[in-house]
Order: sequence, then C-alpha cells, then structure tokens
Amino acid sequence: MNRREAIKRVGLLFGGVLYAPAVAGLLSGCRTGGEAAFTPRTLTPEQNELVVHLTEMIIPETDTPGAKAARVNEFVDLILTDWAPAEDRDRFLAGLADVEARSQAAYQVAFLEATPEQQVALLTQLEDEALAAPPSPDGQPFFLMLKQLTLLGYYTSEIGATQELQWLAAPGRYDGCAPLEEVGRTWA
Amino acid sequence: MYEHIFIQERQAYDAIVVGSGITGGWAAKELTEQGLKVLLLERGRHVEHGRDYTGEHKAPWELPFRGRGDRRLYEAEYDVQRRCYAFGEATRHFFVNDRENPYEHDPDKPFSWIRGYHLGGRSLMWGRQCYRWSDLDFEANLREGIAVDWPIRYADLEPWYDYVERFAGISGQPEGLPHLPDGPFLPPMMMNCAEQHLKAGIERAFPERKMTIGRVAVLTVPHNGRAACHYCGPCERGCTPGAYFSSLSATLPAARATGNLTIRPHSVVHSVIYDEEKGRASGVRVVDYETKEMHEFYARIIFLCASTLGTTQILLNSTSSRFPNGLGNDSGELGHNLMDHHFVVGATATIPGFEDRYYFGNRPNGIYIPRFRNLGDRATRHRDFLRGYGYQGGASRAGWNRGMAMRGFGADFKHRLREPGPWTMWLGGWGETLPRHDNYVELDPEQTDAWGIPLLKVHCTWGENELAMRKDMAEQAAEMLEAAGCTNVQPFDAYTEGGLGAEPGLCIHEMGTARMGRDPKTSVLNAYNQVHAVPNVFVTDGACMTSSACQNPSLTYMALTARAAHHAVEEMKRGNL
Repeated sequence: MNRREAIKRVGLLFGGVLYAPAVAGLLSGCRTGGEAAFTPRTLTPEQNELVVHLTEMIIPETDTPGAKAARVNEFVDLILTDWAPAEDRDRFLAGLADVEARSQAAYQVAFLEATPEQQVALLTQLEDEALAAPPSPDGQPFFLMLKQLTLLGYYTSEIGATQELQWLAAPGRYDGCAPLEEVGRTWA
Repeated sequence: MYEHIFIQERQAYDAIVVGSGITGGWAAKELTEQGLKVLLLERGRHVEHGRDYTGEHKAPWELPFRGRGDRRLYEAEYDVQRRCYAFGEATRHFFVNDRENPYEHDPDKPFSWIRGYHLGGRSLMWGRQCYRWSDLDFEANLREGIAVDWPIRYADLEPWYDYVERFAGISGQPEGLPHLPDGPFLPPMMMNCAEQHLKAGIERAFPERKMTIGRVAVLTVPHNGRAACHYCGPCERGCTPGAYFSSLSATLPAARATGNLTIRPHSVVHSVIYDEEKGRASGVRVVDYETKEMHEFYARIIFLCASTLGTTQILLNSTSSRFPNGLGNDSGELGHNLMDHHFVVGATATIPGFEDRYYFGNRPNGIYIPRFRNLGDRATRHRDFLRGYGYQGGASRAGWNRGMAMRGFGADFKHRLREPGPWTMWLGGWGETLPRHDNYVELDPEQTDAWGIPLLKVHCTWGENELAMRKDMAEQAAEMLEAAGCTNVQPFDAYTEGGLGAEPGLCIHEMGTARMGRDPKTSVLNAYNQVHAVPNVFVTDGACMTSSACQNPSLTYMALTARAAHHAVEEMKRGNL
C-alpha cells in the first residue's frame, strides 16, 4: 500500500480527525520511485536476509503489512550498531548462527530453505527454551531479544502504529469510558 | 518575540530576578506589572515558545531510537538526567548535560539533581500537579517540635493561592476537604471507567478516604488567551497552544507585555554583591555562559528564583566580611534542612472487567488520593511515623507492549495485540519528608565548574520517619486495591539504601535549604521571604520551605512568590527598600 492510500485509510479510521503535522509527516515520507537501498552496518547481507525473514515470521503480513514492509530489520541493525552493548550484539549474532546450525542439524538445509512448518517448529522450540531458561546474568536469550526488537521496531513504525494499530498526534478531546468498538484498536 | 537587547554595563534596574522557571516567571510578572523595570537573568539558552518545542507531536517513528533513547550518549552525558521519567528522545534538549554541569554527593548517598537550564527552566517539563497546603501543614513543625515554626499560616497564603490559580488555570474537582483546600477550579478532567469503579470501591471500604481526579495546571477550557488541552499526552515536550502552565506560556508573556522586562540568557549568576556600608545587596555578579566574562548588574531588590539548590549555591558563594559563610547565613542554617518528597512506592493491580471500554485521547493527569494519616484526630493517627502521604496513580489498558511477555508469534499473535489488554492500575505514594539539619549542601572548597563557581556537594538520605512511612504507603495501596476488587495486587518499593530508584532528588521537589522562620537565629528568611539581615534580597523558590508537606510544591512556590513580590513593591513605596 502506498502512502497516499495510507492517508486515506488513516482518515477513515479516525473518523476524519487528522492533525496537520501528522499529515505533513506522512507526505514527507513518501518515496518517489523504488525503495532506498539499505546497507546494514552490523549484519552481513546473509544475516540481514535471515533477520528480515525471522521478524516477518513474528509479525507477518496479514490484512496489514508486516515486519518486512515496516523495515524492522533496519531497526534491528541500528540497535545492534549504535545501541546494544557489545555482549548483547554478539549474543544476537550467535543466535542467528544457532538458528542456521539447528536447521542444518534437524532438516539438513539452511533455515530459509526449510519448509514453513519446519521453520515454525524451530522457532517454537527456541521460544520454549527461552521461556524455560532461568534468568541469566549474561542477559536475555536470543529469541526474546529478537521478539522484543521486532515488536518495538514494528509497533513504533509508521506502518505498525497507523495501519495495524492507531496513533493520533492530537486527539482533541478525552473520553475515559468510550465503547471499544467505537475507538477501534489498541493505541500505538 | 525575543529581541536581543544590548545591556549596558553597570546599568541599574529596579529589580533583578535570577532564574526564569516557575518562581522566576511569577516574580518577573508581578514586579513588571507593578511598574518595576526588571532584569531577568537566565543561565541557559533562550527558548522560543512554540518554535523550540522540537519534540512536540513527534511520532514514534520520527525518533531515531523509537523512544528507547540513545543509550551510549545518555550514559556518557546524561547519566543523572536519564533517571527522570520525562527525559527522552523528544525532550533531551530541555535537560542539562551532566558532564558539563557537575555536582557531588557522597558515594553511598546518591542524590539525583534533575535540571533544565534554559528560558522557562523546569516549568517546561514539570509534572503540573497543584495542591494547596493547609494549616495541618503550616502548624506541623510547631505542633511536633520539629525544626522551626513556619512564620505564616494558611490565612496568609489563601488569597495568593486564589490569585495564582486564577491566572494559571487549575482544573480539578472541589471536594471540601479541610486539609486539602479547594480553589477556583476549571472543570475537572474525566476519570476513566476503571478509575471510577476503583473510586467507588475504595470509598466504600474506607469511608474516611477519598479518590479525586488530579488537580493539574492544564486547561480544560480556554483560559486567559490560552487554548484548552488537546490531549496529545506528553506535556513535557512543550505545548504550542499553551494549554499547560509554564513561564513561556503564561507568566513571561504577561511580563513582556508591560514593556518593563529585559531578559538576559546565558547569564550564570556567580554571587550577590553586598554593600557593607548600606547593609543591603546592590546587585549580582554574572559570568557569561559562553565568553566566561564577569559582569555586574545593579538593582534595588533582588529575587533569587534559581531553584532550591541553585539559589543556595549562589547564597553560599556570596561571601563578604559581614557574611563570611554565605549571604544571610547568620543562623548557620543556609544549605541545611534539604528535603525532597520520597516516592516510587505503592502497588499495582489488575482490574477485572470493562473489556468493552477504552479511552480516546491521552489525559496528561491521573487520580489523587489525598492524605488520610495523622490528620490531627485520634482515628487517623499512625503509631509508626509523623505526617503523611498522598497517592497519585491511574488506570490504563495494556497495549502492544504486553506482547513482549506473551508466548507466541505469527498472524494470530499479531491479531491479538490489535485489541487492548486488561485494565491495570498503579497507585504511588508521595510522602512528606521531615526537615533534618544533617541533610545539607555545601560548596566544594577546591573544585569549581567551567564558570568558576564552586561545585555543590549534596549530603542527603531518607530518615527513619520516611522509611517507616514507606511501609505504610505500600501496604495501604495494596489494601485499597484489594478492597476495590482488583486481582494480581503487587506492592512495590524501589528504595534500597545507597541505591538508585527512589533516592533523594528523584522526585524533583527539592526544597528547604534557606528556610523561612520567625527567628533570625534559626532561619534564613522572614515571613515575606526576605533574607533576615538583607531585606532587599528575596528567596521565593523551594529553598524557602520550612517543611515539605506531601503535596506537590510548585503551586505553593507560586503563591509565596506573588505574595513576596507585592510585599516588595509595598516596602519600596514605603521607602523601606
């Protein structure tokens, strides 16, 4: 969906309440022509491809775009490059390697070549292990890092905040007891 | 409009106001409106109302780290400021760089000094909660034999509360409580469904307790030329329509309109100049923030409104043969009796039901449960501690964040987060702190900052009374939530001895280091906020406070400032100043 469609949609979703700067923001983000090329700074091209796929598995495209369209992989790379302590970054990269190793051990193929069912099974196993693991001074297990970065990256993106959920710069009023169906969705 | 006005060296003014935050803004307004030529000195940069609110209405995707903050930068440059809830990617420009603005504290006694050095000061990021004091508060020290007696009572301040509230615009619900007097409120904000439900449950189980909507300096209707709130949420980013009270939205425009105001930013006040012959202050020494040049400015009266610790640092640094230990420090109390409210203690819970209800808009306000301990009668007396506390809090529905702790991934997982989660409530106590002589600040005898001003060294801990009170704050919060039918009730207390999370300073209600009193031997200021021995120097910021009560203090600072400014002009007319 392009941005102009997004604007129409947002307008409908909010019953026509639109705040000018928010519209300006939507418009200024319009890209002319193709997608700007992204060169990851920490992830290798292969790791980036894997992150694109993993984040999309966590928040897939449904009736709204998913993590891939919201470029969550770019946010992950930013966090790994400019935010995360070195040990967290290393644990994340080791986690990506572990996904590949598990796929080879279980299915004898690279993760991206495994069937969707196999991929889901592997990720489910990772989540189960991560949730069962006792808290460690070394920090969070890889899968929880991945999932949290995916959620943060997606729901704070323009797509996640305005198409999947809703966000308003200036609601203009406060109603503390509105019917949920009138409000619609979770506020981003 | 801001005009950079060339200020002649040695130019004299009727009044100098040091600091442009909540109290400096009020002092400038009241003095200029009464015809005085005022020089307002601000140590930080100029901020243009509206234009410089660069974080206002920024969407999360417009913040480089999506609101998570630039961790590495914060650790290197903002290690103290980042502890403040209002500090973040959209507000960092309103907080000081800690590396460039050092201060000291004992290693095992952390003190978080949250600061904003710019025109408007912390009035841009303040919490906006406004509660009057009553004689329960003003008489407490006398009644219990703690510290010294306040030289004023509620009757002295009541008309000034009225006066500042009418100008600022405070929204709230009158409740008729003698110990939390009502004011001329604008219409109250709405409690959401879950809060209304809890209010009924709590008041049923505890008939002597009350839950009301927060009283807040945010307009619910247009007021004095300022627009009503549009419920975007984070006031601390700045508000171009001026819906919340700040120096930039309210007091400074009024002061400017008189034609009597000169504002000089980048002016770090070094000290007050004392004229030994006249026994009066004659002006202030200013170090230019950028050039480091020293200037002197002169005036008949001086209002110190540089914040509790800022003002105290200036007074301690103002030495002369008459005042070797700091201006007006005959009592030895200057710098002592530092207080802050202690908080980050209470309870959280889940509120069953109301799944079909949600809210529209972001209310910049919560609920308030006024103090119910030690109200002067036997029934409310608590054996373990003096004074009391109030609760702030609020109910909301969990958002997408809850997905972080939810098992699963994929389309169904995504779809579940489209609807908000259960209603949750938090109740946090704000507790009164007793004035203690051994909570104090002093000047470092060796180290100075970039402007040649000795560093402030803070010594401050919570005492036994505060710690005993905290137990009750967590227990009562849990009991009330339990009684109102909540589930998953979890008391919390972030305080650890020597640790961060609920340390002194964090509440940003520091006060008390140049206290008012009746006796010059035991206090720094008189009943009109004048330095006892130097009556043309007024201190009307938090430094003047003789006790802390448990109410958020800014409203009381405003009332004290307006009262002192009118007294100053009267005294000038009488020829006494």
